[in-house]
Amino acid sequence: MSATKDDIYAAIATVIDPEVGFNLVAMGLIYDASCNEEKGAKVTMTLSTKACPLHQMIVTWVKEAVTKIDGVDSCEVELVWEPPWNISMADEDVIKALGGM
Amino acid sequence: MFNISQDFAPPFKLIAPYFRIGTFFYLAASVLVMFFGADIFHLDVYVLSWVHLFLLGFVMMTMLGAMAQLIPVVLEVGHFSVGVFYFIWPLLLLGMLMLVAGFYMAPALLPYGGAVVLVSIIIFVTDALLTLRKTEKLGSIAIRGILLPNVFLLAGLIVGIVMALGFTGAITIDIHSWLLGHVYLLLGGYVIITVMGLSLILLPMFGLSHGFSERPINLAMWLISFGVIAVAMGAILGISSLKILGFLLSFSAVTVYFYQLWIIYKTRARKEHDVWASSMYVAFVSMLVSMVFGAVYLLGGEHKYLLSAFWVLFYGLFGFVIIGHLYKIVPFLVWFERFSPLVGKQKVPMLADMVPTRAAGFQFWLSLTGAVICLAGFLGSSDLVFKSGAAFLIMGALVLVHNVRFMMNFKEGL
Ligand code: HEM
Repeated sequence: MSATKDDIYAAIATVIDPEVGFNLVAMGLIYDASCNEEKGAKVTMTLSTKACPLHQMIVTWVKEAVTKIDGVDSCEVELVWEPPWNISMADEDVIKALGGM
Repeated sequence: MFNISQDFAPPFKLIAPYFRIGTFFYLAASVLVMFFGADIFHLDVYVLSWVHLFLLGFVMMTMLGAMAQLIPVVLEVGHFSVGVFYFIWPLLLLGMLMLVAGFYMAPALLPYGGAVVLVSIIIFVTDALLTLRKTEKLGSIAIRGILLPNVFLLAGLIVGIVMALGFTGAITIDIHSWLLGHVYLLLGGYVIITVMGLSLILLPMFGLSHGFSERPINLAMWLISFGVIAVAMGAILGISSLKILGFLLSFSAVTVYFYQLWIIYKTRARKEHDVWASSMYVAFVSMLVSMVFGAVYLLGGEHKYLLSAFWVLFYGLFGFVIIGHLYKIVPFLVWFERFSPLVGKQKVPMLADMVPTRAAGFQFWLSLTGAVICLAGFLGSSDLVFKSGAAFLIMGALVLVHNVRFMMNFKEGL
């Protein structure tokens, strides 16, 4: 059986942005995820800044995390800049934690 | 979609010397401040020597290290030849030491020291230009942050070398009219434009600001570029009206730049008060304060206002903007090198865990207190006050050296 969208989100939630200290799902950086019959997963995501020095690495971590799921053999990551990320896409507790004085 | 080359991020051991040496000279400069009097004259050989130690040893050294790391990030391609960074710092260091010795006791060394510095910068600029050619992204960031400041840097160095030849007596020029051109090209054209250009990448990146207009910065860049050109030409050709026009353009550039900073600040999502954020407040407030002192001097104020303007620029803006970023860049580099390969395999630290928070706070307050007391020393023409400020600066610099070492040696969990 191929993985569900929730499985993939749960796997990506283990990937943490070391600068901000939150996981990518909570940050709202993952726009979509799916998995086809051939166990090929596809993740559509963005990054909080275009000039992110961890660009390559974050994509690799997402791929690694997703391919660890039982129902996934391969993972393709599409990095998009539209719509641009903004803080309102993040979870409530992330917004609170970042905005806290 | 991804065609980012493998050498995207330069290795840690290549960049580390820039930050180690930079912080060492911040300490050395702070120790040497002890020997200033509150009534120093800016053309005293001791002061000239110190100025070049601070600017080349600390400011340029750390800025070049940061550029080595940021150029690939901004352009999304690896350096044309990242290995040149092994040569740039030794040359810069050697040239700087020759200049420092030259001003202090051996003027004959000045043109040679200048030539060595020029060679190191030509290497840097050549790599930057060839890297730019590798990318199709010759966007405004590349022009603002990389091309423009380096053109002014080269021009300023050449003017410096001509002055050095004048200083030794090899040629006859009016050094004092060229001086303003040299200073303006390098401090306004190189250091301040670099700060402006990079701040537009780094402030939104660390503050998570989004959806703000970049029109103010583009306008500010035009204004300051013409301002620098006008002042430099006015100084070298001896045309006062051109100088005045240049000063006015520069003041308006800084005003527009502050408007840009304000909108980035308003749209930021991250409001934590870490040492980086506090350092940025001090840095940018210093920029304004320095401008006010500069204006007072230009409108006929005493020499102490000139000293104060430069003091606040050096220890306020340059010092805090650079040191604040060291607390972001150094942990990142170390993390990238040591911990990123372990992601997913074991628990790795967050970048913020690698900053010695309490010690960074101490450094911040010691350096700030020192800078403010020294300023009071200049304004009140009191040696005693000035020297007590210098003592705080030295303590702050010692803590900084400790902090940078701590971050570079961070191995917890390994
Ligand atoms: C090629 C390397 C350089 C050479 C040969 C050089 C040469 C000189 C000379 C001869 C003077 C003093 C002239 C006089 O007696 O009036 C001077 C002053 C000055 N230079 Fe340089 N310079 C160099 C690099 C730099 C750099 C890279 C910066 C800044 C980033 C800089 C900033 C200054 C400043 C601020 C002063 C004025 C200092 C004062 O009035 O106390 N110089 N330089």
